Amino acid sequence: MAKRITIDPITRIEGHLRIDVEVDNNAVSNAWASCTMWRGIENILRGRDPRDAWLFTQRFCGVCTTVHAMASVRAVEDALKLEVPLNAQYIRNLILIAHALHDHIVHFYQLSALDWVDILQIPKADPAATAKLAESLSPWTRNSRNEFKAAQDRVNTVASSGQLGIFMNGYWGHPAMRLSPEVNLLAFSHYVQALEYQRKALQVVGILGGKTPHIQNLTVGGVANAIDLDSTSALGMAGLEMIRVLLDEVVQFINQVYFVDVCALAAMYPEWFKIGKGVTNYLAVPDLPLDSAGTAYDLPGGTIMNGNIAGVHPFKTASDKEFRDAVSEDVTHAYYQGGKALHPWVGETEPAFTGWDGEQKYSWVKSPRFNGQPMQVGPLAQVLIGYAQGHLLTRKYTDLAIGKIGAVGGLRVTPDMLHSTLGRHAARAIRASMLAELAQKHLQLLIDNIAKGDYTVHNQPVFSGHEVEGVGTHEAPRGTLSHWIVIKDEKIKNYQAVVPSTWNASPRDRSGAHGPYEASLLHTPLARPEEPLEVLRTVHSFDPCMACACHTFDPSGRQIAKVKVL
Amino acid sequence: MKKILIGGIGNILLGDDGVGPYVARLLKAHFEFEDGVEVIDLGTPALDLIDQLTEKDAVILIDSVTTDCTEADAGAVVLYRKADIMRHRPAVRMDPHSPALVDALLSAELFGVAPADVLLVGIAGASYEAGCSLSKPVKASLEEAIAEVLNELDYLGVGYQWRKPPAELDIWWDNFDVEHKTEHNNSAAGHLEMCRSSQTAVTRQ
Repeated sequence: MAKRITIDPITRIEGHLRIDVEVDNNAVSNAWASCTMWRGIENILRGRDPRDAWLFTQRFCGVCTTVHAMASVRAVEDALKLEVPLNAQYIRNLILIAHALHDHIVHFYQLSALDWVDILQIPKADPAATAKLAESLSPWTRNSRNEFKAAQDRVNTVASSGQLGIFMNGYWGHPAMRLSPEVNLLAFSHYVQALEYQRKALQVVGILGGKTPHIQNLTVGGVANAIDLDSTSALGMAGLEMIRVLLDEVVQFINQVYFVDVCALAAMYPEWFKIGKGVTNYLAVPDLPLDSAGTAYDLPGGTIMNGNIAGVHPFKTASDKEFRDAVSEDVTHAYYQGGKALHPWVGETEPAFTGWDGEQKYSWVKSPRFNGQPMQVGPLAQVLIGYAQGHLLTRKYTDLAIGKIGAVGGLRVTPDMLHSTLGRHAARAIRASMLAELAQKHLQLLIDNIAKGDYTVHNQPVFSGHEVEGVGTHEAPRGTLSHWIVIKDEKIKNYQAVVPSTWNASPRDRSGAHGPYEASLLHTPLARPEEPLEVLRTVHSFDPCMACACHTFDPSGRQIAKVKVL
Repeated sequence: MKKILIGGIGNILLGDDGVGPYVARLLKAHFEFEDGVEVIDLGTPALDLIDQLTEKDAVILIDSVTTDCTEADAGAVVLYRKADIMRHRPAVRMDPHSPALVDALLSAELFGVAPADVLLVGIAGASYEAGCSLSKPVKASLEEAIAEVLNELDYLGVGYQWRKPPAELDIWWDNFDVEHKTEHNNSAAGHLEMCRSSQTAVTRQ
C-alpha cells in the first residue's frame, strides 16, 4: 500500500515549501509541491509611482534583492519604450553577474552539498590522501594537506562536543551517501572556503550598487552611479580596479573549485543522471544586453518543448512578443479566487484559503503556464537552450564539464542526460563558469566605453497620459523572472511578479499536469522512506527560494522538517 | 576600537516584520556612534547574515519575534542572548533560503568567526499582513527597543550621543503619518521625537 510522506518546515510565518509524496515499493508514486505562505505583496504596489516600484520589489526577497529591483526598472522601461545607456547596461550586467556568482556558490556549498556529503565520515579521512586526490583534480592552491587538516579539526571539534550545531539536521550515515571519507573532507573544506569567495562576489555588488544588501544605484532609465575616473567617491579607476581584483579571485574559485567539485560529485553519483527528470519543457529569456535598445545579448533565451533539444525555439529579445503573449497563471489548485487562467497584466491576487487538499486546492503558488504548458526554468533551461542554439560560450563550458566528468569517473555524459537532478547541478556550474568569463568581459566593455569619453548613465523617463503595459525580465540565478506592470496617469494600475520558483514549484493546473518539482520527484527511489534524503536532493537541485519575504525569529524553537509517514 | 554591528532584520512589506529596519533607521537618524559601530537595515538576509556577523566583537540585532503568547503581548520587547538563540535547532533544509539567524550564528560559530556577544532585541508583532506600516502596539514599543540597544552599548562600553538636530529619517516605505506621541520619561530614549518626524521622499533621479 502507498505510504504518504509530508515534508513540512512548519514555521509559523516563514513556512514556505511543503512537499508531499506517496511512496510505493520504496519509490515515489505521486507528489505535491505547495507553498504554505500567503504573500500578496504585489497589491502594495498599486497606486504608487512606477519610478519607486523597484525599491519595494527589492524587498520581496532578502536573498534576491537585486534581481527584483532589476526586473522592476526593466518593466517600467519596457512600458515607456525607454532605452538604457551603454554604461548603465554594463554596470547593471556586472551587478547581475556578481550577484549570480555569489548565489550559485552559496547554493551549491551552503545549501545543497550536504545532501551528498556525509559530515560524520570526515573524522576518518586522511588529509594527505585528500590533498593528493585534490591535486589530481585541480590546480587550486588551497588544496594542501594543511588546509584539509584544519577543516577536519573543525569537524572533529563539533563532533566531539556532542553538539552538532549547524549539522544537527543532516541525514548522516544514510545509505544514499556514498562518498569516501577523503572526498567528504575535500568537499567540506571547500564548503568552508566558499564563504570567503561568495563574499567577494557580493563586495562587487556593493561597490557598484552603493551598498548591500539593498542596492541604491538603480533608476528607471539607467543607473545613478556618477562616473569620474579620478574620484574615489564616484565610480572611477580605483573602484574599477578593486572590482577587477575581486572578480579575478571569484573567477578562479568558480573554475578551479566549484566547477571541478560538481563534476567530481557527478562522476561519483552517476545514477543521479537517471533520476529527477520531470518536466522537459524549458524556458529562458535572453539577458546581459549589449546595446542600449536591447537587441543583442550575451545569454540566449528561448524554449525547448518535450525534451526536443534539436527543436529549440529562440527568443529575439528579453521582452519578446512570443513570451509576452504566452504567459498565463492558472489558479485551479492554488488558494486564490477566480477560475480562468489570467495573463499577468490582468492578473489578480485575491486569496481564498481552503486548507491543503491534494485533489482540490493545496498551494499559495499559482501555476504559470506557457501556451498552457508547465515549463522548467533555471540554469539547466538556460544551458540546454544555449547549447541547442550552438551558443559558443555555452558549448565551451558544457563540453568542458562533460570531459571532466568523463575523466574522473569514465562516464560518457550526453546532453540528454542533463534532464536530471545532477543535470541541474552541472548546468548551474556550467552557467557559473560562463558568467565568470562574462564578468571580466563586461568590466572591460565598461572601461573601454568610459575611455571613449562616454559618461552617460541615465535617460530621463517620460510618461504619457495613456495606459501602458510593460514586462521586465531577468534570467535570474533560479531562472526566468518577469515583472508585469500596467501604468496609468503615472501610477501603477497593476503589478504582478512571475518568479522562477513559481514556474518550478507550481501545483497542478486545470488539466492535471504536474509542476516541475512534482514531476521531477516521480519514480525517485527511497532507501529509507522515513529519511527522504533523495527527495531533498532533487528539490534542492532546483535551488528553491519560495518566500524569503518574511523573516521572523521564533523563540519557541524550530524543528527539523517534519517528516510524517502515514 | 571595538567592531559592533547594530542590525535591523525584517521585511518592510509585511507589517510588523518591518520593525527591525525601522528601528535601525531611527537609530541612524538620532544618534552618533563611536568609530567601529555600523548601523544597518539588513532586510531579510538569510545566510548572507553570516557575512554580517563575521569578525565583529559584538552584534545587536533588532527583529520581530513570534511568541507563543496572545495578541495582548504585541509590542512586548524580549531579549535573547547568544546562548538562547543557539539552543534552537537550525531551520529545516527544505527551503534553503529560509534559514536565517539561528543558522547564520551556528555557521559563524563553526567557521570560528562568530561574535562573542550577541543580543537580539525582539519585538512581539501584532500583524504580519502585507503592508508597509507598523501596528500601534509595535510603534508604542519603539522607544523601549531603542533603550535596550543603548543599554547594551553601555554594557559594552561603547560611546554614542544624540544628534542635535537629528539627521533626516529615511523610512521611505511608510506612507502614513505616525500618530504615536512620544512619552517624555527618564529612559535613555525618552526625549526623542523620532516617531513624529516627517517622511522622506524616495530618492529619485
